[in-house]
Amino acid sequence: PSLPLPRSFLLKSLEQVRKIQASGSVLLEQLCATYKLCHPEELVLLGHSLGIPKAPLSGCSSQALQQTQCLSQLHSGLCLYQGLLQALAGISPALAPTLDLLQLDVANFATTIWQQMENLGVAPPVQPTQSAMPAFTSAFQRRAGGVLAISYLQSFLETARLALHHLA
Amino acid sequence: SCGHIKISPPVVRLGDPVLASCTISPNCSKLDQQPKILWRLQDEPIQPGDRQHHLPDGTQESLITLPHLNYTQAFLFCLVPWDDSFQLLDQAELLAGYPPASPSNLSCLMHLTTNSLVCQWEPGPETHLPTSFVLKGFRSRADCQYQGDTIPDCVPKKRQNNCSIPRKNLLLYQNMVVWVQAKNMLGSSVSPKLCLDPMDVVKLEPPMLQALDIGPDVVSHQPGCLWLSWKPWKPSEFMEQECELRYQPQLKGANWTLVSHLPSSKDQFELCGLHQAPVYTLQMRCIRSSLPGFWSPWSPGLQLRPTM
Repeated sequence: PSLPLPRSFLLKSLEQVRKIQASGSVLLEQLCATYKLCHPEELVLLGHSLGIPKAPLSGCSSQALQQTQCLSQLHSGLCLYQGLLQALAGISPALAPTLDLLQLDVANFATTIWQQMENLGVAPPVQPTQSAMPAFTSAFQRRAGGVLAISYLQSFLETARLALHHLA
Repeated sequence: SCGHIKISPPVVRLGDPVLASCTISPNCSKLDQQPKILWRLQDEPIQPGDRQHHLPDGTQESLITLPHLNYTQAFLFCLVPWDDSFQLLDQAELLAGYPPASPSNLSCLMHLTTNSLVCQWEPGPETHLPTSFVLKGFRSRADCQYQGDTIPDCVPKKRQNNCSIPRKNLLLYQNMVVWVQAKNMLGSSVSPKLCLDPMDVVKLEPPMLQALDIGPDVVSHQPGCLWLSWKPWKPSEFMEQECELRYQPQLKGANWTLVSHLPSSKDQFELCGLHQAPVYTLQMRCIRSSLPGFWSPWSPGLQLRPTM
């Protein structure tokens, strides 16, 4: 059985989830309004060809919630999405500020999770290395990749939010 | 030029002595062989040096000690007699003041609109000298004993005692340590260190309070009631907050009545028992719930008429 998670960690993590989801929604709205890219489900094929990954959160699912694995997947997933958001840099000057803040918030949330894993003594000796990021070769790919990556991030966070509530 | 002043040290504590020398090179042809070197501080009377002598290379040197420099800024002149007047050979600027005291009352607020941490401090007594302040910091952990990465120095704008650390230099939801360093030509000092998580010092704004006009069919015809709604300040929507409502009848010297532990957003809220005046003023404020935070200011007053 894993050690209980401190209440302040859970409260701060839930707040960070809400903060990131709020920024993510703003960015999706901006991408929709500016480029009429409003339906991520229409971009799944493109996502496959670009190799935009969905971070696994099997350890956080309500059926098989496993604290240590969940924290580890949460951290790895956040690092993955931070890398994806970095790869989207240059998406458009208008979106850059929101994208930068979102990326910083995701990175900070990853640190919160990593710190807690260290406190629990379940952190691996070395942080996971950044996997290869998709290469966007056109403005459309970068925008569409952005919509897809952010929408994957939003659902990733929704799963995380439910898991954190369970762990509370 | 013929003459040259040297001062040591160039900056002193107010009231301390200053030692100066003025040298006249031998190839200064227009002057007598052995000119009497004189001194003038600001516009005080001219005075001779303490001692004048030859240096091995033929240079004439006059030495003077000003026992107590009581000017924070002054000019010291080296002169020689010339016909029935004097000729200035050189001028040096003297500065005096104090080393900086430790800056105090360091406090910080996280601004959600600019995503920056703004820290302010008291600079301490006047030093009379150009004094620079720098906000320094490093990332840390729970108890702030651990020293992590250093944060780039935050240099305030001229004559301002506050500095804004940009979002990219902040690690939210983790503790950091900040302090202020003051430095001038007479020394440096540091403020006490502050340990904080930027998200625990958010500058919260009050919620948006709105009157609700309830249709006549819904109103329970009970006199002395009014309805309102409120929403949290948008940039803080992601934060769970608890709020307080206060209301007072528009009467001279009326007291506020407080309603606590309210949610941060409410579509419809009924307030009854308001019979003291035709108009009531309502205000609300909120605070982060379950986690550290500061109360927002009270919202602007909303004037409402209870049902008659």
